[in-house]
Amino acid sequence: MSRISRNQFSALLLITDAFALFCLMGNISLITIAGFAAGTALQFIMAFPIIRFYSCGGGFGSKWVQIIYFVYLILWGGLLFAMQWDVSQFIYIPYSEGFRGKLLISGLIAVVCLYISSTGIKTLSRAAVIAAAIGAVCLFIVAVSSLFHAEWENFSRAESAAGISEEMMKGFVLSGGLGSFVVLLSMTKGKPMKNAAIYFLEKLILTVVITVTAIIVAGGIMEAADFPIVTAAQLSQPFPVQRIDSLFLMIFAIFAVFSIAVQTVTSAYLLGEIFPSFRKLRSTASLVLMIGAAFALHGTGRYIRIYSFAVAAALLVVPSIMLIQKKIIKGR
Amino acid sequence: MNNPDYEKLPIIRDLSQNIKKIKEISGGSSDVLVNEFVTGGIKCAMLICEGMLSISVITELVFEPITHILPKKDSRELFNHIQDNLLLSTDRPEINDYGTLFHLLNSGFAVLIADDMDKALAFGVQGFFTRSIQEPSGEGNIMGAHEGFVETIRINMSMIRRRLKSPELVMELFVKGGKSKTDLCLCYMQDRVPKELMDKIRSSLDKIELESILSTGYIRPFVENDKFELFSSTGTTERPDVLCSKLIEGRVALFVDGVPFAIVIPRLFCESFQTLDDYSFKPYYATFIRWIKYGAFIISVLLPALYAAIVMYHPELMNSTLLMLLVESEKNTPFSIVTESMGVLLMYEIIREAGIRLPKPVGGAVSIVSGLIIGDSAVKSGLISTPLLTMTALAVISGFVVPELNPSVTLLRFAFLAAGGIFGLFGIGLLACAVLVNICATEDYGFPYTAPLSPFKAGGMGDTVIRSGMKKMQSRGFTVEEYHE
Repeated sequence: MSRISRNQFSALLLITDAFALFCLMGNISLITIAGFAAGTALQFIMAFPIIRFYSCGGGFGSKWVQIIYFVYLILWGGLLFAMQWDVSQFIYIPYSEGFRGKLLISGLIAVVCLYISSTGIKTLSRAAVIAAAIGAVCLFIVAVSSLFHAEWENFSRAESAAGISEEMMKGFVLSGGLGSFVVLLSMTKGKPMKNAAIYFLEKLILTVVITVTAIIVAGGIMEAADFPIVTAAQLSQPFPVQRIDSLFLMIFAIFAVFSIAVQTVTSAYLLGEIFPSFRKLRSTASLVLMIGAAFALHGTGRYIRIYSFAVAAALLVVPSIMLIQKKIIKGR
Repeated sequence: MNNPDYEKLPIIRDLSQNIKKIKEISGGSSDVLVNEFVTGGIKCAMLICEGMLSISVITELVFEPITHILPKKDSRELFNHIQDNLLLSTDRPEINDYGTLFHLLNSGFAVLIADDMDKALAFGVQGFFTRSIQEPSGEGNIMGAHEGFVETIRINMSMIRRRLKSPELVMELFVKGGKSKTDLCLCYMQDRVPKELMDKIRSSLDKIELESILSTGYIRPFVENDKFELFSSTGTTERPDVLCSKLIEGRVALFVDGVPFAIVIPRLFCESFQTLDDYSFKPYYATFIRWIKYGAFIISVLLPALYAAIVMYHPELMNSTLLMLLVESEKNTPFSIVTESMGVLLMYEIIREAGIRLPKPVGGAVSIVSGLIIGDSAVKSGLISTPLLTMTALAVISGFVVPELNPSVTLLRFAFLAAGGIFGLFGIGLLACAVLVNICATEDYGFPYTAPLSPFKAGGMGDTVIRSGMKKMQSRGFTVEEYHE
């Protein structure tokens, strides 16, 4: 597989993180921000074994590791599809109602993802940098325009239904894209520690900017908002008579496609490693499995604890076992 | 493509048999003239292709000295004398086979054959009529030179040499086309272009087995990627000054005889927005103009689609005044917005095509009929709404700001309109992803089309996001090799 640069690595993962944030449900408060920041820090700490493993020159050799990450990527890809269905009820997407609508929208995304995966990770990562840059500009516009509508007392007004530990867990789970983090880190140029540190720092900044924007704009009506980030984007308009939601809608679609494409490309890569003779329809198989997983997992977003175990397993347990195995083999 | 039988056939020694063979190969073509004469006591013949050479030059520089040669022992001594003692022209190749003989003869050379001689001598006295150098029609420019390439390859080569006098500028002439025998010329700065890249380009060109090469479009697929690419990864220019700047940046140019354009390899997406005038004006103005072009590109591709998507599916995005205005104008039109937009765009494409193909005076009439009569009456009769016509016209005019991308932009405009008309902004977003990935996948000889944006090269931003001052650019010493992956 081709090697990608640090910027490309960060762009691929940050797009997935941003999309997961767009689809975030429930109240956002200062506790949420603190919880998310702590969750990101925890992720970074838990990523040490895999960083150490790659720093020692380790690779994705073992079949069982490949299978675990493949399953993880399929499940996370399925959750991304499910998130997209939920938000599409809120931001109008034509023909998206009902089972057929979901299938149609998923099919469309799958077709674009299939095309993207056919061009390979190198092309996807190049495109992701441009998409992330466009997203950053749009986020900047939304953030700046939100300052004109800022209600600073929202910080005290917005209340979180959960405590710090639960918000931390939520923030920890929110980045289910850590499966692709593990896979992509192995093919990123440069030192794994630096690559990971920069990514987590950028992720922290992104999370804080998005959540703070949501609080200062939509904090007062957080109770009534299904998706606080989407509501914040709709309310933070730079001009009094001109709305810019169209920008957000397009970015939402682009990020949805790229997020799922990242899971498709990485899972198809692992599928090829698991079954070397299975070459032609790897991406198609991955996408079909993801859509199947989406139907199975739709509506299970509240089972945060179960998901947090899965994330912890992907980020800490499996890499730790890989690292220990490598040390033992080296010791012999 | 197999070469014809005569290509490698050696020249026949007997003059009468030789002439018979030449007439047989040429099929007795009226423009191949055979002038038999005796010089130095040897029977000879001078072959010329009528209309391809200068009669005054051949009379003065070739016929005059060649007919006054003193008697020679045999034809070999005669040829040695002509080659060693007479400088009849600057280009004097020796010919051993009929393939070369006909290639040179049909290129405007005078060919001398003699009795009992298995060789022929050619003299470069070309003098066919060519179009004079004129201002390029497609690459307008205010402050730069007003010279454009012409159809004659050697004049084009001289236009480059006149601007780049460095010995590092290499021009490699070669012939392609089984029947047309078209002269092609690879042009590059040998100190700027890696040898591996040149080898790859040469090997791509070796795959050409066409019978004729009549435009750059015949060659470009051979030097481009085989994958489906929306935008071309090679460029063309009809301006010698632009080509010189490309050569200095380490690019390779390819001239085709008979075509007033040069192919530039590789081409980057951002280059489509750069013109020579950018470097003639102040940097702040050039930067402003460049961003106008970026904006025009986006408008030309997306405006009709955004209009259709927002009016049909997301009217809440418009302010009330605009919404009322559009509702008022659209309620009187009989067709849906997508049908209307498609119709207007198709009508425009038909009018444009008619305007190009028709003789110029009639072409002007077409513009009047289409613009004033059809456009005006379509709006007045209520077939098309005024806002939609305005949006479409703005999109079409914006497309002309970046003419090189116009063919791709035209098709993308239709595709985005369909996506926006069916699936709203979500559809536009989906298609934008596919187009973005396609552009990022465009790559030739290891040069990504989207460089320096992605892969990101900070050094390249000085001539992409802004246009830095000339002093700053001078210190950078840029070559396109910086973007190679």
